[in-house]
Parts: sequence; C-alpha cells; structure tokens
Amino acid sequence: MAITRRQFLQRSGIVTAGTLLGPNLWNSPFASPALAAGLDDRYFVVLFLNGGNDGLNTVVPLSNGPAMPSILSNGLRTAYDQARDTINLAPAALAATQIANDPLTGTSLALHPGMTGFKDLYDRGVLAVIQGSGYPQPNLSHETSSRKWQTGQPVGSFGSAGWVGRYLAANYSADQIPAVTAANGIAAELKQTTTSVLGIDRLDRFSFPRDRFAPSDYAAKDAVFAALYGNAKTSPQFLKQRVGAIGDASFAATQIYPNLYDAYVTARGDFNAIYNTNATTTKRRMRDIAAYILGTETGTIDSRFFQLSLGGFDTHSNQGTLDATHNLRLSEFSDAFKIFYDDMEDMGVADRVCLLVWSEFSRRIQQNSDDGTDHGTQGPMFVIGGGVNGGVYGAHPNINEDALNNQGNTPYSQDSGDAFRSTDFRDVYGTVLRHWFNVADPTTILPVDNAGLDPNLYWRNPNFDMGFL
Amino acid sequence: MGDANTSLTAAEATHLLCRTSFGGAIRQRDIDKIVGEPRGEVADDLVGFRPNKFRPTGSSIRVAHDKWVKTMIKTKRQLQERLVLFWHDHFATSDEVVLDTAEMAMQNRTLRIHCIGSYLQRGQRGSFRDFVKAINKDPAMMDMLDTRTNRKESPNENYAREFLELFTMGVFDSAGNPNYSETDIQQIARAFTGWRVDGDDDTFFDGGTGVIDGGASCGSSRTGRHDYAACYPERGPKVVFQSTGGFGPAGRDFTVNGEGAAEIDTITDIIFEHRDTDGRNTVARYIGRRLFEHFAYANPAISVVDEIIDQSAFATSFLVQDYLRALFCHDEFYAPAAIPGSGTRKSVRWPADYVVGTLRLLGVKPKGRLGEMIVDGGNFRRLRDQLSEMGQILLAPPTVFGWDLEDSWLSSATMLSRFAFARDVTSSRGNGSTAFRPEKLVSFALTDPGEIVDAVTTRLHVQDQFTADERQALIDYLGPGPIDLFDYDYRNTKLNGLFALVLQSPAYQLY
Repeated sequence: MAITRRQFLQRSGIVTAGTLLGPNLWNSPFASPALAAGLDDRYFVVLFLNGGNDGLNTVVPLSNGPAMPSILSNGLRTAYDQARDTINLAPAALAATQIANDPLTGTSLALHPGMTGFKDLYDRGVLAVIQGSGYPQPNLSHETSSRKWQTGQPVGSFGSAGWVGRYLAANYSADQIPAVTAANGIAAELKQTTTSVLGIDRLDRFSFPRDRFAPSDYAAKDAVFAALYGNAKTSPQFLKQRVGAIGDASFAATQIYPNLYDAYVTARGDFNAIYNTNATTTKRRMRDIAAYILGTETGTIDSRFFQLSLGGFDTHSNQGTLDATHNLRLSEFSDAFKIFYDDMEDMGVADRVCLLVWSEFSRRIQQNSDDGTDHGTQGPMFVIGGGVNGGVYGAHPNINEDALNNQGNTPYSQDSGDAFRSTDFRDVYGTVLRHWFNVADPTTILPVDNAGLDPNLYWRNPNFDMGFL
Repeated sequence: MGDANTSLTAAEATHLLCRTSFGGAIRQRDIDKIVGEPRGEVADDLVGFRPNKFRPTGSSIRVAHDKWVKTMIKTKRQLQERLVLFWHDHFATSDEVVLDTAEMAMQNRTLRIHCIGSYLQRGQRGSFRDFVKAINKDPAMMDMLDTRTNRKESPNENYAREFLELFTMGVFDSAGNPNYSETDIQQIARAFTGWRVDGDDDTFFDGGTGVIDGGASCGSSRTGRHDYAACYPERGPKVVFQSTGGFGPAGRDFTVNGEGAAEIDTITDIIFEHRDTDGRNTVARYIGRRLFEHFAYANPAISVVDEIIDQSAFATSFLVQDYLRALFCHDEFYAPAAIPGSGTRKSVRWPADYVVGTLRLLGVKPKGRLGEMIVDGGNFRRLRDQLSEMGQILLAPPTVFGWDLEDSWLSSATMLSRFAFARDVTSSRGNGSTAFRPEKLVSFALTDPGEIVDAVTTRLHVQDQFTADERQALIDYLGPGPIDLFDYDYRNTKLNGLFALVLQSPAYQLY
C-alpha cells in the first residue's frame, strides 16, 4: 500500500516507539504519573477472535418469540433449524446458558453451551451482548475485514494506525509504554508510530539474553548495545530508526517487566494456580495481563491497554456443536475471562477494567456441506467489566432466507425504519471511547462516513450512548 | 541508467548475493569473482539452475521442518531455497490445518519444482501459470482451503476467494479498483467441486462416471475413485469477469473447453488474461510486485514493476526466471545497497534468513536429531522454537495470507528472540563443527581494534551499514590496541562478544 500523507507525517515527525534510553535508564519511562483525564486509572483489554466467529452459534435463538408476521416470515429458532441441520444447537443443550430475550422479536436467546464462564458474568450483570454488529459494504476477506475493524475505518481508504492506536498517539508520548500485546508482534488495533507498544508472548520467559561465559563483560556489552540502539533511533533511514526505537525500548523493558511476573505469582498465588489449572494459551495470557495491571497498580509500570487474540474461528468444516473446534475456542476465552474477572474483583479493580471482544465477521447463515460455515457478515460483540451495564443490546439479525442478501448473509442497514437495523461496530467503539476513554467527540478517532453516502446504508448518524457503559 | 551490461560494483555484488542466498557470500572470493562482471551475465548464472526434487519428508512436521532448514543451510542452490520460502509464503499452507507431513512435504517439492519455472519436458520451460495449475490440485492446498470437501449443493468459497485475492490477482488493482466481484468468486467455487485425493495422495477429478453409490454423503471415507453422486461437480455454464478484466459485459464462460475436469485449467488461463483498469495484465503486475518486494524493497513505484515486466515479457510468458533476470539487472534492485540515508530502501530480514544466514556466515552447524535440532550454546532451545519466537514457523504460516512482513517482524518479543539466538550461536566454544570458531573467520594476527571490527562487519556484510559512531562504539568495546587475539580469555570474551553485538545490532536486522 502506498504511504498516505498521514503516515508520512508520522514517520517524518516524532521518533517512533519510545525515545527513552537516557543515562538513568532504569527509572525512565515506565512509572509516569497517572493522566489527569482520558482513561485515567482505568484499563482496557481487547480480544480478537481471529478467523470469523460464527455469531449464530455463539448467541443462539433458543425458541421462537411471539409471532411477528409483519416483519418476520418464521420465528428465529425455526429459521435457525431450517438453515442448519447438523450444527444447530438443541434447545435442551442451551437451557443452562440462557440469557435475556432478543429486545426486538422476543426470541429467547442463549449463549453457546460451552460459554459457561460468560453465562456466569452475564448473571452478575457485567457482560453486555451487542447483537448484529457490522459495517457498510461488508467484505468477506479475513485480512481486509480485519483491517476495517482494527483501524475503525471500514469505508474508503484506511491508514495503518489502529483505532486504539489513534487514541494512544493522541494521549501518550514516545517515552511511555502504555500498551502491551500478549503475543509476539504488535496488535493492529494498537498500531501507530508515536508511542511504544510491547509485544510479550510469555511474561515468564521475558528477559535479556546474556552469555554466561563472561559475567564481568555484561556492563561493557550493555553500553555498546545502548550506543548502537540509541544511535539507530536517530538514523535518517526509517526502518533503522524503527529497529532502534523498538530494540531500545525492549532492552529497557527487560530490566523491569520480568519482576512483574514474580510479583504477581507472589502476591496472587491462589489466582495463579487457578489460571494454571487446565491451562490454555488464553488463560496464560490473561494471567500476564493481570500481572501488568498489578504492576501498574503498584506503580512499577504504567501500562493500561492490552490486546490478545485467539485463532481457530475459521470453521469452514466440522465446526461441531457440543464438541469440536467451535466449542473449544468459545469455552477457552469464556473460561479465561471469568477467572480474570474474578481476579480483578478480588484485586479490587474490576470496576476499572473493561474488556471488548470482536471478530472480523460472522459466518454464513446456512451451513455448508462440510458441517461448517462460510464467511458471513454481522455478528455479536461482547463488552465486559464492573462498570458495564449487562444485558442484550441491538437486534438479532433476521436469519430467514427471504431476508438474506444474494450471498446468503444478513444485510447491513442503518435505516431507522428497519426493525432489524444493524449495529455499526463504530457505535460500540465510540461508546467505549466516550464513556471509558473520556473522548468528548469520538468522531475525531472514528470519522463518520462521507456526507454523500446514503444514510440508510452507511454510518451517517452515530450513537455513542448505546447504554452499556 | 544501468542495465544488463552494467558492471557490478563491490557493494552491488555483495547485495546481490545477500538477496539471492541466505546471509550472502560465505567467502570473500565469491564476491570478488563477480565484481566488475556485467549484471546480465551474473544474473544468467544465478537464475540458470534447474530445480531439484528434494522434499522434506519425515515422521513428524518437526522433522520435516528441520530437514528443510538443514537443506537451506547446506545447499549450494541458495536461490532455489529462497524462492521455495517465498512461494511457501505466497501459497501459504499450514500443517496446523493440513495435519499431514507427507502432503506438506509433497507441496514443498511442488514449490521447488516450479520455483523459477518448471521443466515440463526436456528443454521446455514451464511458467507461473503452470505453477498455479499445479497448486490448484495440490493435496495440501486442497486441505488448507477445503477443495477436498467442496460439494455442489453449497459450494465452499474458501479456495476460490484466495485463488483470486492472494495467489493471482489481489483484491484491488494499483488504481484502487476491484479486480473481481463476489459473483466471480461464487462461479469459480462451483468449478472447484468434484476434486478428490486418493489414498496415494494423487489428485483426481470425480467426474461422475462409473457410479457405485448415489446415496451416502460426500466427505466420508471412500475406497474407489468414483463414488458419491453428491460429489459431482456443478453443471452448466459459469461466467466470470462481466464487470472487470477487459472481457466486455459478456465476461468469459470457462466451461467452453468442456465441463468438469477442464474447468479449473480454463479459468486459470482466463485469469492470466485479465487486465486491470490501466489495461495492464493483472497477474503479471501482482506477481511482479510480490517478487520485487521480496528481492528488492517494499512499496515500489508501479512504473518500476511495469518496466521489469516489459523488459522480461513476463506478462505474456509468465516465466519467473526471465522476470528475476531482468530484476537483477535493474538499478532499483540495487537501491538498498546504499549507505543508510533518509531515502534508502531497506527491508527487515525474515527470521529464517536471520537464523539460516547467520549459521552459514559463521560456519556453525546445528546439532541434535532432526526435529530436535539446536544451536550448541546458550539455552539449548530448539531452532524451530527459536524461529517460532521470532515469528516464523516454517510449514506453519499463521494464515493463508502468509507472514506479515517488514516492520511487522519487529516487536520487543521477536527482537529479543533474535538477540537470544545471536547470543546462543556465538557462545558455544570448542573445536567441533557445531561450535563457533572465530579463528576461521578472523585472523588472530590482527592487533588493531579498528581492523578487527572491520573484519567482523565485513564477514557479516554490514560494513557499509555502520555509521562512524556505531563503528567507534565497537572499537571502544574491544579496548585499546594492540589487541592479542591469541589470549584465550580475551578472545573468548571480547571476540565472541563482538560477533554477538554485530549480530544483535540494528544494522544486521536489515538488508
């Protein structure tokens, strides 16, 4: 992709990813005073369900609502069973995870039976289900659609900065590390070139590698390392500058972050044991995030934005019902989130933590011949936290065959006269930006679709007060 | 303007070898041999190989992984292995989806046979079009993107979509216009029904003759070649590209050469005739750009790619060999060899290049059984795990999109893994072939710190990439001269340390 004007300005402007290596290395960037406004003393966690989560088997019609022939040819449960004959979840299996009814059709809804952790959070009133989330002109490519969600700019050309990244760039400077990705690499939601983002796959293995042959030489090597990377940070060559900034910040972080793991395990051994029981990658990553939050609470670091992702949602075949891929993936993050929320509650910070779950698209309403589902459009999002008003928001998409577009997917609509009006994901992001990040006008981060576009088919009338925060 | 007759400078020669092998020249004489020679003749030698048929088989994917890595380190066919890695990223297939080492190994051989133009018969070269036709029927790919279980009742669009988006055309052309429509994908998905793989991993078309059973569902286990009616391909005309491609509103019907088995070759041929809104061949531009970005630098001007396409007639021949030769003669290919300035186009080394290239340049062999291969120093972590932590597991790219490239390789965790590998590979001291032996790389008779630093950076092909300040930092690290490299303790501390620091330096992460 060509470099846009904005990228050019960012690249040629402030040094990227943390200009921090000063003489007083160990004291520098991590413990900065809390911000006066903005996110303040709160935390934000994003989970990306990579591959396109099948929303219809995540928030499932359990039984039909009252007959509504004027807007619905069949009840949603009937339509569900018509579209899916081998991967449909039986009502009996859904009884234990039932949630509120769909606000529009009165259809009784349930979470996937594997999502007992989410059901627990729902019953505690801290989980919001936001149905039918999507964007105009849905794209069915994983990569393209992911980029639209990650940048928060689904219409028109988009730069490489993530939607959270744009907030970070506007509020944090190069000598801070406000965000950590729980993986190797930097999450696309957090990307920008103003402030530094760490990528730590496993906190327990995070350290600077040393040659034990010559301990007496450690200091001399550190000095050269610091000189080389400090010098590279001022290189006129973009990539060398970027390597310099990231290597430099990484080196500094290796001096501080490893202590967070030990501190967490010491202070919160009980919860550490719970994360370690039937351990999964997501549990381990949520434990690491808990350690960063503890580190921030105790003033060792100041990191408040976290991202993790979970793959395996591209269920073109054998997605299963109570077993197999989809169930395993849903229960993996659902279980991990419940433990994490309990941990936060016990730590006394649950009211200051907000988690958001998204996927690049949902899946085809009708299943395919491989007991799987192809790429689709609108699906549910989840927002979780002590400050969240739990419940079901937005309309469940109309999944009757006569309501689908020619690809067999639910169409996007912003027509206020349409009972099944979609939720634009930017309304969800914007509600988070306004009510969690304290951004007065979220359209500074999420530009509204161009004025010339049809307001029934595009996002022209934002709603940043959806009510869940 | 340089061309095929331009003589290679030393910096260009070094760069050419760095980009066409892992790590670059092992011996100085390999560079000296081509300095002053015309670019065209050197390029002819480089691209003129006939691919071999190696495949990394093994009892597990870990074994296959290590076999391939070992081949990358040992082979003299360096450009071949770099191309196989490039195509592995392009036709990204993961064993985590396929779950079949034999099929992955077979695909790896297919990538190798076709990597620079296949040899279909004696003397006759194959093109990228033949490569795509082979991938269409590749068992691992058929697993990766569901062709194997694609049925006519509800065609699975997985392969059809990536076929267009990733393998041949891209979603948008360089003017930002779509190259195809959703309808095109659905039509092509219909054509990819009816293909099966038998127990010997041979692909065949289940054309519906010799029916033995019309009842049971497709996708269950089977014994014969002709089985279930439900598997038969979708019949009837299939029209694509009514809105793009320069075919006019009628588009093209790809059942014209016969329905069934012929359809997927016909649609492939049509795709290779597709023109974008500039009237240029869509596939040639897309593949030309990908090759350029791999070997030269990211985000080239489209006019540069067009020039190389025109010089090599790639838009009609689709011969990768000819395209690469023209690329290696082009000035823009040599742009990254410049001393870093604000406009210098560099690339971030892939982890595989970092690991394999470093092992080659240092002459260190990994040790241990296949599947458990390690570098004999540091934490004794498996090479595969180290590559994984740098963000690149061979035979298991993260998605069908392959790996995220350039600055996506760079983060705290991935860079720290590179630093750890540099520490490991320079910290094994001894005399075996798996130890790091600096005496083979630097003359111990050198006593001047500056000369020692230059000897090391030259060995690693980054001598031009260190600024005066950076070079001075390395000189200061060695301490005041004269240096005695024959001193065991000094050498094992400082010379090993110097190599580690250069391998960990910002300059060495780029090329």
